[in-house]
Amino acid sequence: MTKRSKAGENFVLFPLGRKRFALCAEQVSELSRPREHGEEEQQTFPHTTRFLTGVLLRRNQIVPVADIAPALIGPEVPERKFYLIVHLSDRSKVTRAAVPVTGECELAEAERLPANGKLPPYVSGLLSLNDEIVEVLDLERLMAAEVRA
Amino acid sequence: MSVHRSSDNERFRRRAGETVILFSVGGAKFAIAASAVDEIRDLAGLQKLVLGTLGQKFAKVKQMLERQGQRYFVVDACEHFHLAMARPTRLLVLRHAPAAVTVNAIDCMLELNAMQALPRAFSGEERDWYRGLALINGRVIPVVRPEAFLSKAEVILIEASLRGREAGARAVAGA
Repeated sequence: MTKRSKAGENFVLFPLGRKRFALCAEQVSELSRPREHGEEEQQTFPHTTRFLTGVLLRRNQIVPVADIAPALIGPEVPERKFYLIVHLSDRSKVTRAAVPVTGECELAEAERLPANGKLPPYVSGLLSLNDEIVEVLDLERLMAAEVRA
Repeated sequence: MSVHRSSDNERFRRRAGETVILFSVGGAKFAIAASAVDEIRDLAGLQKLVLGTLGQKFAKVKQMLERQGQRYFVVDACEHFHLAMARPTRLLVLRHAPAAVTVNAIDCMLELNAMQALPRAFSGEERDWYRGLALINGRVIPVVRPEAFLSKAEVILIEASLRGREAGARAVAGA
């Protein structure tokens, strides 16, 4: 299913390796640089949820880290340099997650074009930016697909 | 003892000074309510347990302990949490059921003032394993749910299996 195109939406563009992806800007609350020690260092504990790699302690709140890069571009992913802090909807409740990305992000206003049927269901639209086509991600769908995989 | 307090009342549920025991298993740290633990002891007296057809279902239960005239079934915490095998040194005897857990080490006992619910993004077995997450000296430590190691119903199942095997063995010996 594709969402209806809208003109003039704001998107956050983020790189994963050589490719860029987009999220609706309203879904992204912050961009954060990971630290190796202290607050915002990624911490882990045993669990079995596949796409989660740990948690961040951010302003005294525990934020799960959802590493979607291997699902999108395969196992060869460059070092993640930043976290996008995003809102996820889960059965009418909103929860937060930190998505590691490999480079700096960009805010762009663009028209969302409908995704064609050949794209994975977690691609909710396409952005045509100069000579680049960027996939707009439906994070909830992506993570649900990853859980089922 | 140093316990971090959250300034965010919505996120962290304040608790009236619950005492917890910090322990480690396969390099990971956990907390368990002190009130859930009957005794911390060494591994002396553990006996091998063979569960027959139930063995696959209860692969994490390989040993038992005779204590005060009762059988306690011993859960290997590494298997429970799917961690790499490690050499246990201590046994936590649990209070809710005749069950015990082997752990690598006991770190300390401290008072917990706040606990956060496991974020909803976690959707696997951990939802059963943990009551929540505690923030202790800047580290996020899962607080385990003792019943997840071995529930009363599971203990009854294991007991019934053992009684069946013992009756079978007696019948063979008597024949």
